[in-house]
Amino acid sequence: MDPAYFTPLCTLTSSLVLLAGIAILWRHSLPAYIDSFARQSFFFVLVILAVAATTGTRELYIVAAMVFVLKVVVIPRLLHRVRRTVGADLEIHPYVNVPFSLAIAGALTLVSYVVAAPVMALSDLPTRASIPLALAVIFVGLFIVVSRRSALTQIVGFLVMENGIALLAVLATYGIPLIVELGVFLDVLLGFLVMLVFVHRIRETFDTTDVDRLRKLRQ
Amino acid sequence: MILPILLLLPLLAAAGAGAWRGDPRAVARGSAVTSGAGFLLSLALAGQVLREEVVGFGRGDFLRADGLSAVLILVVSMVAWISLTCGEGTLRRARDRKELDDAHLRRYYLLTNLFLFTMLLSVTANNVGVMWVAVEATTITTAFLIGLEDSREALEASWKYILIGSVGIALAFVGTVLGYFDFVQRVGETSHSLNWSVLAGVADRLNGDVLRIAFVFVLVGYGTKAGLAPMHTWLPDAHSEAPAPTSSMMSGALLVVALYAILRWKVVVDACVGSVFTDRLLILTGTLSVAVAAILLVRQVSYKRMLAYSSVEHVGLMCVGAGLGPLGTLAALLHMIGHGAGKSFLFLLSGNIREAYGSTRIASVRGLLRARPWTGGLFLAGTLALLGLPPFSLFVSEVMIFRAGFLAGHPAVTAFLILLTLVIFVFFLGYVNRMLYGRPPAEVPAAPESRPLELLPLAVNLAVLLAAGIVVPAPLLRLLRLAAGVIHP
Repeated sequence: MDPAYFTPLCTLTSSLVLLAGIAILWRHSLPAYIDSFARQSFFFVLVILAVAATTGTRELYIVAAMVFVLKVVVIPRLLHRVRRTVGADLEIHPYVNVPFSLAIAGALTLVSYVVAAPVMALSDLPTRASIPLALAVIFVGLFIVVSRRSALTQIVGFLVMENGIALLAVLATYGIPLIVELGVFLDVLLGFLVMLVFVHRIRETFDTTDVDRLRKLRQ
Repeated sequence: MILPILLLLPLLAAAGAGAWRGDPRAVARGSAVTSGAGFLLSLALAGQVLREEVVGFGRGDFLRADGLSAVLILVVSMVAWISLTCGEGTLRRARDRKELDDAHLRRYYLLTNLFLFTMLLSVTANNVGVMWVAVEATTITTAFLIGLEDSREALEASWKYILIGSVGIALAFVGTVLGYFDFVQRVGETSHSLNWSVLAGVADRLNGDVLRIAFVFVLVGYGTKAGLAPMHTWLPDAHSEAPAPTSSMMSGALLVVALYAILRWKVVVDACVGSVFTDRLLILTGTLSVAVAAILLVRQVSYKRMLAYSSVEHVGLMCVGAGLGPLGTLAALLHMIGHGAGKSFLFLLSGNIREAYGSTRIASVRGLLRARPWTGGLFLAGTLALLGLPPFSLFVSEVMIFRAGFLAGHPAVTAFLILLTLVIFVFFLGYVNRMLYGRPPAEVPAAPESRPLELLPLAVNLAVLLAAGIVVPAPLLRLLRLAAGVIHP
């Protein structure tokens, strides 16, 4: 692909990935969170495909296919199913309210540009302009984890963060070696499944997925 | 050939535990044998490393053990063997009391062996990406071990652990990606560009600013798993709710495995920008951890949480030591061994105490020396060792760390650390004192120790603590020097 199109295309799709992440902060219901995550993963697949088409790296097509199957199809479906069985639909009273959350997301994006400055300075890839966006996705995911109280929302936040890291790897290095990529995929999938099992167990034991009710051990 | 066999043993034991459908005691015995063989092999491997300096295996040295790896392998194998042999009785009797069933026990041995495998892989993987995958996998294998008993508290502790652990480790991956990015930009892509040995070799050609950012991510990420403050919040819950042998392995071995990952990256960053940057960060986080542990230890109600906070303290001390140049690093490595031996010792005994008194509250335990003389006496000895009294090895390593602190020109920080360890000493001993003496409550059976012989493997811990405390054996000292030389070339 011509770099004249490639760079803006990367920036556009990466921005969409970030926006889909931020969307989670202003929605209120779990189904919307899960759909936002699926959308975000889909935009991420577009980024990978753009990089793959430009560089002609065959490994990246494999990664794109894996991301699509796992993060656009399988994980959102699993999340929806768990959501229905545990009956948790609304994220009521997050620790940080919506307007303030959005302000923080904006601040985190600015911070990302500061942190990424030396990384961008070092890079000569046409994708370098999008690197801060990936960092911002990571920070937004982290913020979702710490500012929301439903266990399922926290899982979505973790997955958003994970998307951000994978995005960073693709944009900054055109993908890490495939063996590491496969290991990371397996780990994330296993970690995600373990988390789902615990959501079920928390629901059975405490009759809620609001982790704020889990406060026996505080001291 | 020792290296691959060492990693294969726990995998075999795990496969056995997963496939076996009969009496779980057979699985327990099998795990005790494989982990015992692993411990002996780790000694043999240390000998091989002393002779050859670096032992590699596989294409492009996929597995690689230098002095630093050898020390970690020793600690992990020792703690795992002790935990799997001494902890067996605690679990078996929990099954006799119907607190756990056979499926629980089989799951326990399956996951514990996988846990051991992932720790060994973390410290022998040459590829920093594979190292990350292995450290992340320790989170997955241990999450179910913490929640083995299905209690509300255990469930809460496991959720906190898996969430904070996964998020932390994800940040460590950002650091890994940034390091790899730096390498690809400056050196170009090669077949083993993520190999630690390759990274360290070309580090002086990398971009310092990017590596500094990468190190901050690595420190926060792996530091979460290492229990360094302020990312330690999951640790007291997880270590106090897990079954005693699991606490023993998580505290004695897993924490230092995470610290090892930080030290590996420190070498790469130091080779590029000098050691001042990483040293300062390590001293800062380490001191903060010791301070947080001291503050929280002052008011404790549970003896298992007390042990957990003591882990935060000791990891903090190791972290400070690693930031104080070659002498401090040597001391930190010796401290890893001493802490591994001492903490697994105490956590395993805490399982017996809990069994006798049915509670983990300090206030419920009275007259331990009278009710359980062996357990009580050993608990006292372990406490003295852990608090850094002579003739135990933690005394030597702590004095070395403080000495390194003064020599490296950090008198204020060192004095502060000495003050904090004194505070911890006073309060920790005070709590143990209350547990040891007094009249045992009436409901505790006055019968003497059910099986003092079961405690026999703990003699190995005591031997390690004493041997390294009176005079560090020459081969061990050579190994520690070799390991410190890896961190400070």
